[in-house]
Amino acid sequence: MRERDRREIIRDEPLMHAPIRRALAAGPLTVPEIAERLGRTPEEVLLWVMGMRRYRQLVEVPDSGDDGYFRYALAATDEEVLA
Amino acid sequence: MKFDALVVGGGIAGMESSLKLADMGFQVALVERQPSVGGRMILLSKVFPTLDCASCISGPKMSSTVNHPNITTFTTSEVEGIRRREDGTFAATVRQKAKFVDWAACTGCQDCEVACTVAVPDQFNYDLAARRAAYIAFPQAVPKKAVLERAGTSPCTDACPAGIKAHGYVALIRDGRYEEAFQLILEATPLVATLGRACYAPCEDACTRGDLEGTLPIRRLKRFVADWHYATHEGPGVEPAAPTGRRVAIVGSGPAGLTAAWQLARLGHGVTILEAAAEPGGFLRYALPEYRLPRAAVDADIANVTALGVEIVFNRRVEDVAALRAEGFDAVIVATGTPATQALRIPGEDLAGVASGLDFLRDVREGRPGELAGQKVVVVGGGNVAMDAARTARRLGAAVTVVYRRSRGEMPAHHVEAEDAEQEGVEFAFLLAPAEVRHDGHGRVTGLRCQAMRLGPPDESGRRRPEPVAGSERVIDCDRVIAAVGLRPAGDAFPTLAHDASGALVADPQTLTTATAGVFVAGDAVTGPSDITRAVGQGRRAAHMLHRWLRGEPLEGFNALDDRLAVVEHADVLARQRSHSRRDPEVSSIDFSSAPADFAELEPPLTEAEALAGTSRCLDCGVCSECGACARVCPADAIHFEQHDEMLELEVDTVVVATGYELFDAYQKPEYGYGRFPNVITATEMDRLLAPTRPFNTVLRPSDGKVPDRVAYVSCVGSRDRTVDNPLCSKICCMYSIKQHQLIMGALPLADVTTHYMDMRAAGKRYEEFFSQGKDMGATYIKGRVAKIEEKDDGDLIVHYEDIENGGRVVQAEYDLVVLSVGVRPNPDALRLFSEEDLAATEFRFVAEPAADHSPGQTSIPGVYVAGASSGAKDIVDSIMHAGAAVAQAAATLEHSASRRRVPVEVR
Ligand SMILES: Cc1cc2nc3c(=O)[nH]c(=O)nc-3n(C[C@H](O)[C@H](O)[C@H](O)COP(=O)(O)OP(=O)(O)OC[C@H]3O[C@@H](n4cnc5c(N)ncnc54)[C@H](O)[C@@H]3O)c2cc1C
Ligand code: SF4
Ligand code: SF4
Repeated sequence: MRERDRREIIRDEPLMHAPIRRALAAGPLTVPEIAERLGRTPEEVLLWVMGMRRYRQLVEVPDSGDDGYFRYALAATDEEVLA
Repeated sequence: MKFDALVVGGGIAGMESSLKLADMGFQVALVERQPSVGGRMILLSKVFPTLDCASCISGPKMSSTVNHPNITTFTTSEVEGIRRREDGTFAATVRQKAKFVDWAACTGCQDCEVACTVAVPDQFNYDLAARRAAYIAFPQAVPKKAVLERAGTSPCTDACPAGIKAHGYVALIRDGRYEEAFQLILEATPLVATLGRACYAPCEDACTRGDLEGTLPIRRLKRFVADWHYATHEGPGVEPAAPTGRRVAIVGSGPAGLTAAWQLARLGHGVTILEAAAEPGGFLRYALPEYRLPRAAVDADIANVTALGVEIVFNRRVEDVAALRAEGFDAVIVATGTPATQALRIPGEDLAGVASGLDFLRDVREGRPGELAGQKVVVVGGGNVAMDAARTARRLGAAVTVVYRRSRGEMPAHHVEAEDAEQEGVEFAFLLAPAEVRHDGHGRVTGLRCQAMRLGPPDESGRRRPEPVAGSERVIDCDRVIAAVGLRPAGDAFPTLAHDASGALVADPQTLTTATAGVFVAGDAVTGPSDITRAVGQGRRAAHMLHRWLRGEPLEGFNALDDRLAVVEHADVLARQRSHSRRDPEVSSIDFSSAPADFAELEPPLTEAEALAGTSRCLDCGVCSECGACARVCPADAIHFEQHDEMLELEVDTVVVATGYELFDAYQKPEYGYGRFPNVITATEMDRLLAPTRPFNTVLRPSDGKVPDRVAYVSCVGSRDRTVDNPLCSKICCMYSIKQHQLIMGALPLADVTTHYMDMRAAGKRYEEFFSQGKDMGATYIKGRVAKIEEKDDGDLIVHYEDIENGGRVVQAEYDLVVLSVGVRPNPDALRLFSEEDLAATEFRFVAEPAADHSPGQTSIPGVYVAGASSGAKDIVDSIMHAGAAVAQAAATLEHSASRRRVPVEVR
């Protein structure tokens, strides 16, 4: 059951960037795994993860998803790509 | 502007109409509401029955349209009204909405999007995912240019008399960008720590969140970034512009003077502040008490100003402003505040035990508090100075009574100040006016004789006028009287400047110029007593005007306060959501003592967690927060906040209405749970999930990001359904569903796709074969209506349906994802286009074609044609053909009326 208006969840995305980055610092995770670490619902986390993915902060790990869930990892920063 | 034809709507029918007319040599104006042409088609994955890529077909048409020499495209534009002119042609009023981006400069690099602090649902992904307030409509947008979504000025920002972008710094803090938040406030004033503590925060009174569980702590968020910056940085982190060689004198170092100095120094001018006192800050240092505004905070703020090379000369009282020219100053700002106090005008006022509130506060601030312990003090007045004096006297050990001649409701003090004073043991005596200070015959104060008052009718200030109650007097015993009945500017200190009867310097309120060229004034010296934010706003204005005066430019363009978008209404903000969840406000947990003993700062700072929680309650009222992040990163310098909507008048000979359709609102079928169950989506949303530019990395279900194995479709949602007042067939839903089945099975080879349908309407070239192809690929089709959908705890859905082909029994099945094949509804905009003639509609509110059987595309208004789905549900091929029929007739009209504008072109 959706508990919060989608606009309200999306509005929280900037606030969740740092906690999601911290959760992914140790390696890629699925949406339900991130949700568990943050104590938030997977629906909320999916919206935040997809926002971050759109703006190149996260990427999906290729070939994950065999268990039904993709894993998401921190995107390399421009500096990391150039290094 | 004159054109042959006006085409309203830039979807496939509108583009086709425009291109055909333009290819015939007619001049076309195409008006599209969105930032890109392309309509709904460009958002599709593929098209049935060929499964060609929608972008591949639509994309070239989009760029041909926008680049065609005979088509002028007005995007982000709306037709406000079309009326017939006397000569039979049409006049159309078009609002071209401000984009806040210079499209000639924008390269479509998306840097602004990445930097933006505001996330909102992306309408081009049907709200499935987020976009930013700065955005490019979609990756294949034509033109591929950014726009800022600005609904207006956010109430907090609008309420700030200093022009500080309150919403902007709230949004930057929410994004963890504390230094940028600090810098945004510095753009207005160096007094960040000061305002974070002592501002009366009109932003918070205006905050929309106040209509829910309580306002954001906007002022304390400012203190949070100030404290953070000063703890982690040396200096303000601002580089002034190259020196201009011009010198400016500023008389007075209060908030107005300091702000003006800051602004001018940033612009590269050499600034000297001339200050009569021994230290800088004006009232900030000498009047506001330490427990509200610690000196360390004021000093840190003033250090920003001196860091830019501003020199402050102390103990320098200026009287002859004109003489400053001789000292080499090119221009002057006088910002001397309200140093004079109003007298009580009663006998005994001159006794040693009577002081003005300002003198008393200054003495305390300068370390000469006097012996007050155990004494009785009466403070006369109901303003903020009275509250500060009373609370200061309490801290020095006195018993304090505030005497005020009106009642509590009329007190000019900020209500929080009065409440805090009460908590600290200050007594109040209302409806008493001082009549005489009594003494013991040796000059020692013994009491204040007061006249009882009652409230009469309101005076010019709107407050009820106090009137004496005859024969009713009272003496309040006391040892000292502090008179805080008003402050005045001392304009008479400047013989060469004009002042009014109150002592306020006379200036043009817009330009702050005086009768003497090059002499500007600012702050309470002009306005009379106000507050820090107003003084800051004045300081900014004076600096802006002075800078322009030095450059010989017209004195205008103070956009920070004079050119803001209209404020957004609370009701409009709250209506953007179906529900608002409650979040506890961050209460300021001040430990009040009824016998306060020291001057330590009272209000605790917000912790980082409290600050972030506070920002999480912001509703992004104006959508764009005006944080300026986009403008700072834009490599093309293309972001321009000062753009305005423009009204255009177009003269045209013919009009083609191509405003398209709307989708059925699935909330109207509550039995399917749309909006409540995240895994019930519409087919338009599924088309986005299947498109190459999809919002997720593949088809995922919204509740948890799982790749769905079992997908169900429910046909005819909102079509052929009298319960929602729409008996019409939407024509396209069967085919787009079959298209999606095939695409899902291609994208997710393991997924099962089942459709619950009434009957399959496959009337079109190769449509029946397309249906067979879906079945051959393994999609299951079950005939019968779905009665209801329920959700399980894990987000799976139970669909209750009728199985007609197996005896009509009601069966249940479980799915990961349910897709509602929503129908088509008319776009009511079409019927509102014409202001003086009625564009006739069908009984279901589509644009009527009275002669559809022989002249499709003709409407009830001669010279006006309709193309595409505005006149009823149509697929892409039918829309293109319909557009062809409409423009053929429009061209015939033009041949008779307006061949003068025809310019032949090479046909594509
Ligand atoms: C007790 C008290 C509490 C207040 N509390 C608040 C509050 O909490 N929040 C709020 O928003 N507002 C508050 N205010 C109001 C606020 O302080 C004023 O609105 C603001 O300071 C006005 O700024 P200004 O620069 O115009 O004047 P001022 O702050 O008065 O600065 C003027 C400066 O000019 C100098 N000067 C004067 N004459 C000359 C001269 N001839 N030559 C050289 N220098 C000269 C003065 O010494 C002073 O430094 C309070 C005011 C008082 C008195
Ligand atoms: S000013 Fe800030 S909130 Fe507004 S569009 Fe630019 S980056 Fe986004
Ligand atoms: S909700 Fe946010 S944008 Fe709206 S007034 Fe309050 S702080 Fe400003």
